[in-house]
Amino acid sequence: MSRQPSMDNQKSQELRDEELVALCQQGQGQYFDFLVRKYMEKAFRIAFDFTRDKEEAKDLSQEAFLRAFSRIKQFDGRSSFYTWFYRLVVNLCLDYARRKGRVRWQSLDAIVEENPERAELADTSSAPDGQAMAGEAKRRAQSTLKSMPDKQRTAFLLRNHQGLPIADIAKVMKTTEATVRVYLHRAVAALRQSLLEFV
Amino acid sequence: MIERKQTLETACRDFEEDLVLYYYGDDSEAERGRVEVHIRTCVRCQRFLDDLRRLLPQMAQPESLPQSFWDGYYRETVAKIAAQRDRSSWWRNFLAPMRAWALPVLATASVAVLAVGLLIGKGGWNPQAVRPRANIPQEILTDASQLEFFNSMDMIESLPALEALDGGKTAPWTRPNG
Repeated sequence: MSRQPSMDNQKSQELRDEELVALCQQGQGQYFDFLVRKYMEKAFRIAFDFTRDKEEAKDLSQEAFLRAFSRIKQFDGRSSFYTWFYRLVVNLCLDYARRKGRVRWQSLDAIVEENPERAELADTSSAPDGQAMAGEAKRRAQSTLKSMPDKQRTAFLLRNHQGLPIADIAKVMKTTEATVRVYLHRAVAALRQSLLEFV
Repeated sequence: MIERKQTLETACRDFEEDLVLYYYGDDSEAERGRVEVHIRTCVRCQRFLDDLRRLLPQMAQPESLPQSFWDGYYRETVAKIAAQRDRSSWWRNFLAPMRAWALPVLATASVAVLAVGLLIGKGGWNPQAVRPRANIPQEILTDASQLEFFNSMDMIESLPALEALDGGKTAPWTRPNG
């Protein structure tokens, strides 16, 4: 492919984010493709956590890559690339949610139907009653997440689903670690409260 | 069930936030030690922690997507970025040759426009006021006082024209009788 960097792919993949970003900033935009390869799954999954819709998640995460690419010269390296990029993804997702007025939650049941082997919450029970309960638990969890304030939901999704450390979440959300801890605690407490009857 | 629900409703108030951080491993060594000592003796907090361990990992389970999805996603994304790159480089290439001379030319043009604007604005530039010196006889040009006289005569000659411009506001001594 002509777009691929002339440099050996293996070597390019070994480059650190800062080196790839520096190359892009020097006008070698083709190196951005390695950043796409590295972060596409995370970007898509964040967007999916927010939208619960595959197509929307794809569009939003791709838009985040386009924005990151067009603003790459503005990236000053004060934070890590992924923190900067996560902020772009999260902001796009929050804008999307506000634009839509509500987050469109694709039924997780539909996902389970597509991939029955990947049922989520409380999927250990194979009995019909247990499955019905699992479906209800999923709906309840989604509903609780949906009704949460944006900041609580963001903190929870980035920590629980993306595994970001609290320090990084604070950078993404441009707030303090103490505030993130509070958001996270509130989100977890609300979820636990709503799922008490299923545990 | 109801009995269990009631017993699970709360963890100890002072420990609930710490238990969440403990679960995620986001607490300090000191906080961790404090929580561990507490949960040894507190059943409510133990249960709270057990609930988190049971519920939260299941919520985070990502949907498994086939490799073909990711291959397509990657191809589509880099194609969009390449299109954006091509668009921006087209503009850059188009503007590049202009860069060397565009700035001085624009600066000169701006200064010229500003100068003409100032001249017109202050009324310093009136083509009618410029008298072609070629029409003035050479003898007058050599004598400064005669030249002054000549200019004042010009002014007198142009008085009717000024009055006509002034319309109804002309001085009473210039109005025709009757």
